[in-house]
Amino acid sequence: MRNWIQTFSIIDFISVGILLTAISMNAIRRLESCVKAYMLNSWLLSLLIAIIAFMINETHLYVAAVTTFLSKGMLIPLFMKRIVRQIKITHDVDPYISNSLSLVISGILVAVVYASLREGVFVTGVSKNALQISVAVILIGLLIMITRRKAITQIIGLLFMENGLFLAGFSMTFGMPTIIELGVLFDLLMGVIILGFFAVQIRKAFMSSDLDKLTVLKG
Amino acid sequence: MDPESFLYIAVSFFILGAVASLLPLKKVKDYIYLLPVSGSVIFGILSFSLVSGSNLNVFSFPISSIFEFKFHGDSFSGFFAILISVLAFCVSIFSIGYTSSFTNKGLFGFLYNMFILSMYAVIFSANIITFLISWETMSVLSYFLVTFERDEKSSKAGLLYIVMTHIGTAFIIILFLLLYGQTGSMDFAEIKKLSSQIPENLRHLIFIFSIIGFGTKAGIIPLHTWLPKAHPAAPSNISSLMSGVMIKTGIYGFIRISIDMLGSGPEWWGVTIIIIGTISSVLGVLYALIVNDIKKLLAYSSIENIGIILLGVGASMVFNANGLYLLSGIALIAGLYHALNHSIFKGLLFMSAGSVVHAAHTKNMENMGGLLKAMPYTGLFFLIGSVSICALPPFNGFVSEWLTYQSLLLGFQADSVLAKIITPLGGAALALTGAIAAACFVKAFGISFLGMPRSRQAENAVESTPSMTAGMAVLAVLCFLSGIFPGTVINMLSSVIGSLSGYNTNNDLLSYLHADNFFIFISDSSKEIGNAITSLSPVSIILTMIVMLIALLVFIRIVNRGRKITYADSWDCGIPSLTPRMQYTSTAFTKPIKIIFKRIYLPKREINISYLVKPLFVKAMKYSGGITPFIDKYIYDNVTGFIKRIANKVRLMQSGSLHLYLGYILITLIILLIFGD
Repeated sequence: MRNWIQTFSIIDFISVGILLTAISMNAIRRLESCVKAYMLNSWLLSLLIAIIAFMINETHLYVAAVTTFLSKGMLIPLFMKRIVRQIKITHDVDPYISNSLSLVISGILVAVVYASLREGVFVTGVSKNALQISVAVILIGLLIMITRRKAITQIIGLLFMENGLFLAGFSMTFGMPTIIELGVLFDLLMGVIILGFFAVQIRKAFMSSDLDKLTVLKG
Repeated sequence: MDPESFLYIAVSFFILGAVASLLPLKKVKDYIYLLPVSGSVIFGILSFSLVSGSNLNVFSFPISSIFEFKFHGDSFSGFFAILISVLAFCVSIFSIGYTSSFTNKGLFGFLYNMFILSMYAVIFSANIITFLISWETMSVLSYFLVTFERDEKSSKAGLLYIVMTHIGTAFIIILFLLLYGQTGSMDFAEIKKLSSQIPENLRHLIFIFSIIGFGTKAGIIPLHTWLPKAHPAAPSNISSLMSGVMIKTGIYGFIRISIDMLGSGPEWWGVTIIIIGTISSVLGVLYALIVNDIKKLLAYSSIENIGIILLGVGASMVFNANGLYLLSGIALIAGLYHALNHSIFKGLLFMSAGSVVHAAHTKNMENMGGLLKAMPYTGLFFLIGSVSICALPPFNGFVSEWLTYQSLLLGFQADSVLAKIITPLGGAALALTGAIAAACFVKAFGISFLGMPRSRQAENAVESTPSMTAGMAVLAVLCFLSGIFPGTVINMLSSVIGSLSGYNTNNDLLSYLHADNFFIFISDSSKEIGNAITSLSPVSIILTMIVMLIALLVFIRIVNRGRKITYADSWDCGIPSLTPRMQYTSTAFTKPIKIIFKRIYLPKREINISYLVKPLFVKAMKYSGGITPFIDKYIYDNVTGFIKRIANKVRLMQSGSLHLYLGYILITLIILLIFGD
């Protein structure tokens, strides 16, 4: 009865959804929408994990799905929203390059990933596309970190990279041991909290949350 | 008791001293130096037993197949341990009084004890890992001690020192890696056994690296730049240890690698060392002559003496390559004897300079003068040290320099033309060095101790505490003893060099070089003084000197009999009273030599005149003069300029922008993705 997952390529559909939410980051102007895009991305990720769990009937993957949903889908976005309010910038992402150019670059990145990971020993997991998409999401997350000026968008870029890594892990191994997943999630939570405080502190110290100002620290 | 238990007891004394310094014991803090005093006595007993033939072996449990602490002592390391023990003993006594006004005594005592211990560890290391760890510990601890007085000058000097010493350490690590790669062993004894397997070219490379690596520590020119800055910056008891023994560990390492492990080598090795020795001794003493900072003068003079030691070592290597094994042994004895002497008299000079600086609150000799009246004992000891370092009888410098001369001048016996030319030239350079050194120390003693006080501080100077004078007195007595009884030292040294490979001609050597308490002579075949090529008797020299002195006094008495003695002021050219400003200054004293050697000093002078009305009414004139340190200018400035230019190019990459750095990561990732197959 689980054949329908394979037949309708449900996994590929969700993966593409994850990729699209990542790419949408390039076009979003409001910071709050960035956080929403991340939230959607995390929801899709936990849904994917839940479906894989259903497909191979593995109990601990359900646990992983729920914890991912709670931490990445609820807790971190809520915290990020608070920070966005604290530093009083609700819009104005302020990228270095225009939105259209960064969309084109994301497209190139996805093409490069598909071209270079076309064949290989790794493509043995749940879906061939999932791995390629996960690498593409990592690179797009990095691109967001590079092209955005604000400290808070850096954190969101990092979170997207992390989601990409999580997806890569699931697509290849059908889920890591629960203890590792829990550890990774906890680390991420802590990391985001610390980075959030930093973002607020940078705002306080430099009267701006632009990371450009950090160049004055150079010796 | 076996040597191992002596070692454990001695080491525990030093460690106890280090720990006790850190404890909050206000009252007895100064007397904690009695612990290193006793530790060095036990180390001294241990090293004498090593020199006389016993061996020391200490192992740790191997942590891995490579990483293992291992210590070994033979008579060669025993000799250097004697150097450390003698100086550590006297400097520790000196430190009781010297450090009593320090602000952070506890930390200083800790560093002091560990520093001495690390020098012993270097000397006794038996494998590569142990040697490198001890070497690095010694360098880092001495860096902390150099920068102990926290002012800008000493932190700058310390930075230069630690950079230079690490450049040297880098070369030492490379040479050890080469040795390990060729022999497959970390153990010094194994490497020595297997060293014949090493191909010729690599041997040359190892030799060159050992000159650079150990030469940086020893302070040969042009790797000496740290030395005249670090020695004056350190507290005087530390400069005494650094100049007296720490720079000798460079000599130790060089002889251990190039002579003991690689077995001397071809003629050009020795010729290189003679050339380096010549340059270091002549330039070192020339720079020592013209500086006005008393400790800087002593530091430059250390470079000179390292040069003299290297002249002996280099001559020994040349003779060894020419098959003149006996002469080679004599030259090495001369070099090592000078190493011993230098650590005794330079230790003494640095300690008495330290007392002077302590009392007069200045290092500049132009502000001293007339100190002999206030500090008679310190003055006497400084005089004894100066006479020894000028190689004048009856003190010890004379004997070792005489031996060095003899071995260099006997170089005509070699077959090769190069050796015939280079060794007498080395002797000539040594003669020049000796003459300038005499001028240098006449200046050092005369300007600071004689005449009238040139400053208020010098006027108010007082004699140093008894423990400080006691520390100096021991070394002054040793200067005298090893000067008039060189036979004991020479016989000890001939057994020391017997343990080095290529010099196992022990018994023959003693038939060639005969030394007892009355005579040293080098003879062709038999042990009769009548056949001697050259001979020396320090005892008869001192007896002659005493007889001459008495004769002179008697002569004066006879001539002056019946004449009336009148006491009056010095002749003062009709000026009512003499002032300190009429005295010969330190700069003026060296002016003639500065003129003779102007090609080396490259003197520069500047006269700035500001006029009220040009050209008749002068408002003020300003004169400044100095010299150009050409090694700094032509070698180091070029090197640092080159590195700075490259660094500026690299700096473009380091914009400080976080986004650019992330961009580097993205580009790297994409390149890896595309070309990663």
